Amino acid sequence: MNNCLRVLRAERAWSQQHLADLLEVSRQSVNAIETGRYDPSLPLAFKIADLFGLAIEEIFVNPAKEPGQ
Amino acid sequence: MQLKTPAARRYLKRFVPTMIGYVVTVMTTSLLVACFQPTGAALIALSILLAISIIAMLVVIGLYVREETDEYLRQRIVTAMLFGIGVVLAVSAVLGFLQIYHAIGQIDVFWAFPIWCASWGAAQCLMAWRDRVGFDA
Repeated sequence: MNNCLRVLRAERAWSQQHLADLLEVSRQSVNAIETGRYDPSLPLAFKIADLFGLAIEEIFVNPAKEPGQ
Repeated sequence: MQLKTPAARRYLKRFVPTMIGYVVTVMTTSLLVACFQPTGAALIALSILLAISIIAMLVVIGLYVREETDEYLRQRIVTAMLFGIGVVLAVSAVLGFLQIYHAIGQIDVFWAFPIWCASWGAAQCLMAWRDRVGFDA
């Protein structure tokens, strides 16, 4: 699932490890989510959204609404 | 396996003594069989004793999967295990047909567990490497 997590993280000058620590997950998890290799569970998606003060759909792109769908 | 998580550390604390127990059991059993050449119930008991060590390892692995709270790492390890099971089933199918048509001799079923472990480990290494390639500090 496409998302703008990398952009949000870069805006705050956070490393993947720092974001992982804030989310209480591994650095690998953050990397996998950023690159779209792994779709987080709903609880983790809410945690990410809460951390950035945004709604889930402002971070993660609804696959059904992506161009070409 | 990512050893930074509490579940992974618990896994290691359980796995090391289990592995040591397995090695000690293998050595002791081999010695007993060589020295006393037991038969019947004694031989069955010794064989099952060895299998219990391997079953204990599977339990330790199962506990890790249940306790790991990092959902991505859990998914990664389960995927690697499924890959290992796939390899074991594929190897079993090939060897099974070769045996049915007497193209090869008997092969011990014992090898299923080591093949699963090796395939699982290879898949884990591959996924860990893929994660490192995508690393962005």
